Amino acid sequence: MSCNLEQISLTHSNGFTALAGVSLSLHAGERIAVIGPSGAGKTTLLRLLGAAVRPSTGGIELLGKNPWSLPVTELRRLRSRIGVVHQAPPLPQRQRVVTAVLAGRLGQWPLWKSIASLLYPLDLAGAQAALERLELGDRLFDRCDRISGGQLQRVGIARVLYQQPDLVLADEPVSALDPTLAQQAIRVLLADAEARGATLVASLHAVDLALAEFPRVLGLKDGRIVFDLPAQAVTDQLLHDLYAAESAELPTLSKEPRFSAHSVEAEAVLRGARCR
Amino acid sequence: MNRAQPAAVNPLRDPAALTRSTAFLLALVVLWPLLVVAEFKPGALFDPQNLKTTGSFLAGFLPPETGAEFLSHLVRATLETLAIATAGIALALLIGIPLALLSTRVLAVAEIGPGPGLRRSQFIHYGLRALLTVLRGVPELVWALLFVRVFGLGPAAGVLALALTYGGMLAKVYAEILESGESRPARAILEAGGSRLQALLYGLLPGSAQELTSYTVYRWECAVRASVVMGFVGAGGLGQLMDQAMRMFNGGEASTILLTFLALVLAADALSGFLRQWVGRAGTDGRVAGVSGGGYVMALCASLSVLASFSYLNLGFGELFSSESLRLMVGFLVSFFPPELAVGWLSRVGYGVIETLAISAVGTLLAVLGGLIFALPASGRYGLLAGQASRFVLNALRSVPELVWATLTVLSVGLGPFAGVLALALHTTGVLGRLFAESLQNAPAAPRDALLDAGARPGAAFLYGTLPEVTPQLLAYSLYRWEMNIRMAAILGFVGAGGLGQLLYFELSLFRYAEASTVIAAMLLLSIAVDATSAALRRRLA
Repeated sequence: MSCNLEQISLTHSNGFTALAGVSLSLHAGERIAVIGPSGAGKTTLLRLLGAAVRPSTGGIELLGKNPWSLPVTELRRLRSRIGVVHQAPPLPQRQRVVTAVLAGRLGQWPLWKSIASLLYPLDLAGAQAALERLELGDRLFDRCDRISGGQLQRVGIARVLYQQPDLVLADEPVSALDPTLAQQAIRVLLADAEARGATLVASLHAVDLALAEFPRVLGLKDGRIVFDLPAQAVTDQLLHDLYAAESAELPTLSKEPRFSAHSVEAEAVLRGARCR
Repeated sequence: MNRAQPAAVNPLRDPAALTRSTAFLLALVVLWPLLVVAEFKPGALFDPQNLKTTGSFLAGFLPPETGAEFLSHLVRATLETLAIATAGIALALLIGIPLALLSTRVLAVAEIGPGPGLRRSQFIHYGLRALLTVLRGVPELVWALLFVRVFGLGPAAGVLALALTYGGMLAKVYAEILESGESRPARAILEAGGSRLQALLYGLLPGSAQELTSYTVYRWECAVRASVVMGFVGAGGLGQLMDQAMRMFNGGEASTILLTFLALVLAADALSGFLRQWVGRAGTDGRVAGVSGGGYVMALCASLSVLASFSYLNLGFGELFSSESLRLMVGFLVSFFPPELAVGWLSRVGYGVIETLAISAVGTLLAVLGGLIFALPASGRYGLLAGQASRFVLNALRSVPELVWATLTVLSVGLGPFAGVLALALHTTGVLGRLFAESLQNAPAAPRDALLDAGARPGAAFLYGTLPEVTPQLLAYSLYRWEMNIRMAAILGFVGAGGLGQLLYFELSLFRYAEASTVIAAMLLLSIAVDATSAALRRRLA
């Protein structure tokens, strides 16, 4: 159930080389953080691991299979075992949170069940349980355009929790969350992967979060792997070299860029209201 | 954190379930009588007798008639259709522009202050609005049917009918466009002592000329479609030829005429699209002061085609408005008053209104289903070939006007409202399918792609990822088309497809004008009610 990348390169149609000669081996149940400056190829690497893009050259094996030599139904089955948390959750605005979460298992459900679930949500308890792990249990029946950016990002995480994939890929999964919530959400993902023996690969902008929570850390720059080490072996020097071009300071949780400016305050207000 | 856990108290339930199931049941309860009133019997399509009639008629479609004599008739009729549309629009402009000017409030100097003459100005404003409502509330085909009785068979009735209805529409929409723009420049000119016309030319036109021109071109395109069917009530053009072919069960001629419709409507579509694009670009070139050379050329072409249209039709308006025919007209008009208001007749007209609504509702509903079925391949998700084929089908469906479809469906399921339902469904499927396909193409791809990447089937990914994104737009298109179909269902009866039109046609052919007058009033009221409802709906949805 391992994943292997062998000298993978990916050149986009516009001539930009996103990844060059990347080799990587993931064992089942491993939890890995990918860090690196913007444009390093983190998202591309995750898309490769999700069988969403085809490498230009090199060999790839996901969960023990080469996705690009499988017949259509087999590829679909493989993809249903891979779950992706997107940085900007691709959820339809007018869909309700419960439907968005249940959509995580569309790959496992037969078509009749997908249609029936649109008429009446078939696994309310399952969706509720996934949301409750992210403290969103009370948002089950809200519409996706009526919740804050941070909540939406956690709905995206809940969808993958509900999907229960063997390989979890998280692309900046907590970029819209405040430090406390971000740490909490990452721990939920880690605990879930550990409990089920699933592999977790998360790209993170916050270096401190990656080093504190993940056993293995991958440094990516200009489409190449700069280091691939246990967290405790990552030195300050390595990190400063990795982010050399960006700024003198390392990106950490408190300096995390937000993709939605209002979400931080909205989160704070909501959380404050709940604690009172 | 000590939050209440409602889930623990009673089992988890979807709060929307009750609303949804109620809405579903309510829809069934409403749909059932609609289906009954519309005499929805799909079985009639497969009735052996009907199948035989339709089959033998359709068998005659191949090969299409290509005899030289018929073709020369066809060319003449096509030119006549185009000329009716162009001349009709020209007269409509003559009616519409002054009415629009007079009913635009932004241009009323009395509104400033308010100044002297406010009462008079408002009186004119509301009086004109009412007149416009009557002009466009009565369908152009009804006007044509009435004019044929005064001026005799031929294109004159068609031109005048278009002029009245489209004059009313142009005036209303022009006024809306003028009022929706920036009003302060016009106001400043009025405050500085300028006249209504000066305020228009210097204050309003610069901001709205493009939209006005574009709408006028669009109306011309609609006029071409409308004049295609004018012939069914004897007002000239292709419709008259089609009517004859249908009466004589001449499938070959009918198929040639249908192909001509297709070509004509697609050509008008393309020309109108090109002209509107050109208008959209005009004025973006900053170096040209005033009207550009191209603008003069276009204006010249337009004037020439209007002149050519009038001379081709040879309407002889002098005779039309001679004292003799004026006397005839007044006498004809007087015979419509007072409308028949006996309870028995009113209830029949009332049933006609309900039948019209049922035809439009069921027809639109079928078209929504058909549109969805064709939109999926037309949006290009089942490959290029399926896309091209379904787009061709959609174009063919919408290029044949509802009324022409009705003449065909009356053949295959017999006289009555069900034929109207089918006719509306066929034409509207073409229109909605195209619009639906466009929205599907423009829908954000990320939600669907994410589901596909998570191993969802394409069907499930569509239902969970694409449909929620496009539903509001599909709904808006469907409601808009339903609105148009209510008006259309009111006249489909002219060829025997039920509703108010059938009543009107019947009464007019028996010269019972008082009864006919009630039906026309009902059409007018229906149109006003639809207008008001859709305006209210739009305000709520906006």
